[in-house]
Amino acid sequence: MSHPAIEVKDLVKFYEKRGQPLVRAVQGVSFSVRKGEIFGLLGPNGAGKTTTLKILTTLLLPTSGSVRVMGFDVATHSLDVRKNICVVVQDNAIELYLSVRNNFRTFGRFHGLTTGEVEQRMGRISELFGLQEHLNAKGVDLSGGLKRRVQVAKMFLIDKPIVFLDEATTGMDTFNKRSTIAAIKEEARKGRTVVLTTHLLDEAEELCDSLAIINHGRVIASGSTDQVKAMGLKMMYVWLDFKKIGKKTVQSIAKWKPVKLETKGTSIELTVRDDKAALAIVAAARKTGLLRNFEIVNATLEDVFVELVDKKQEAA
Amino acid sequence: MQAVLAIVYREYLIRLTSPLWLFFDLVVPLMYLLMFGVGLDRAIGLGIALEGRAVSYNEFFLAGVLSMSCFGSAINQSYGFFVDRDNGIFYEFLTYPMTRGQFLVGKILFQCLMSIVQAALTLSCAVWILEIQLRWEFLLPLIAGVVIGIAAWFFFLAIFAFRIRRNDTFNTVINVAYFVLMFVSSMFYPLDSAPAWLRTLAMGNPLTWHTDVLRYFTIGLGDPQIVLWEIIGFGLFLVASFWVAVKSLQKAV
Repeated sequence: MSHPAIEVKDLVKFYEKRGQPLVRAVQGVSFSVRKGEIFGLLGPNGAGKTTTLKILTTLLLPTSGSVRVMGFDVATHSLDVRKNICVVVQDNAIELYLSVRNNFRTFGRFHGLTTGEVEQRMGRISELFGLQEHLNAKGVDLSGGLKRRVQVAKMFLIDKPIVFLDEATTGMDTFNKRSTIAAIKEEARKGRTVVLTTHLLDEAEELCDSLAIINHGRVIASGSTDQVKAMGLKMMYVWLDFKKIGKKTVQSIAKWKPVKLETKGTSIELTVRDDKAALAIVAAARKTGLLRNFEIVNATLEDVFVELVDKKQEAA
Repeated sequence: MQAVLAIVYREYLIRLTSPLWLFFDLVVPLMYLLMFGVGLDRAIGLGIALEGRAVSYNEFFLAGVLSMSCFGSAINQSYGFFVDRDNGIFYEFLTYPMTRGQFLVGKILFQCLMSIVQAALTLSCAVWILEIQLRWEFLLPLIAGVVIGIAAWFFFLAIFAFRIRRNDTFNTVINVAYFVLMFVSSMFYPLDSAPAWLRTLAMGNPLTWHTDVLRYFTIGLGDPQIVLWEIIGFGLFLVASFWVAVKSLQKAV
């Protein structure tokens, strides 16, 4: 049986700085990623996802636990791991004083491409990411979004089996975000494994085959995207539109203790824990005689995420 | 090897974008030799008596200029880590398919190649303008001494670049270190006439070892026995600096 692309078992990472309390960034994280899968690592700020990603990409050594990438241990075979990965780090990473073309050339050389191969692939990549007219511009002259695009585009210049993307679409406009997401999907379809962290949960929902939600350095939910959504206790999203909204209307809905409640003009958007609560709320809204329209759909990953993270925080 | 050559290519492209680097790499050493050296040579007059022979200050200072250039180029190159950090590319580099050692070697290899051109220019000026008699039979070891010198100082300074996160702090530390190392060495003046405490300190300074070795290979000044020990000492300094720099790089994230 072939090994998974990534296997993380009981990963622990503590930071110790002189005179400062011990920071427990990752506390026993376990998950695995199959080859050709798009895997999302989600979590609020400071949850431990970037630390986990830094360990997976050999930037940091784990305190304990085992991490294998393409079968290679990150602690003992870091070079073999690096031969199999390419990484979009969280910060903008671009050679500011080189042209976009030379950014591609140097990156290609680092990954063993000949000048001819780089030139050949550069055409396709620059078209895919809308960089044709910027090839001769220096990094320093590009906008933040363009810099990010160059950084992500570089990853598609080479054929490493695993791509790590740390908040890859940050700073991109909607159009480029769409083309980046399309490119990521296309690469996964070709058999590349993609691991991404993002705070954009709709993006994760659209892209990921499976995911893990991390909070306070621990995995609080993992599995296929549908499985994780199901962990949200069949949460439902309810939209109600009224002729007018009074205090009483909001109070009558609030007594059902929705996970999230937001009033926008004459409509109320809320997320509830199950379909029974959703139906009861709609029934109560109809009794007011002011309800014009309503909608009940499955909750989004974001709703589930908020619910799971909140629950864990309450428990803590 | 592919990764090392890729870094050399990258450094070459970056150097092409800023001709000012060429000024520092090639012209500054010549200015030291032709302005500072010549000025002091005139001031001192007939020169200095060393090991039973009269040596002009220009002859004496030639090795100092070469070792100073190595140290200066190493500072510039180690400062590049802060530029890479600011660009964000530093952390991306560390995920590329190369060892930390290859990364360090690659970072200095282009500068080593530049230092050969730099040394050739400096030596040409010394011979054709200042009429210094070079020990041509030692030309190859001299070039090797320059290349090894620049690498050793770069690895040594890289340790500080990885451990110090702020570039202003790094600048201060390096300026102080440069000042102390330069003046407590045989770079500017012969140690024979220096006070005993200074001589003792200077004998433990790798910059003295490097300068003495280069001086032996340029004008043949120095006791071969002592120079041999200084070669061994500087070799150990190179290896130790490289090892500590690799370890520091592993913890630089």
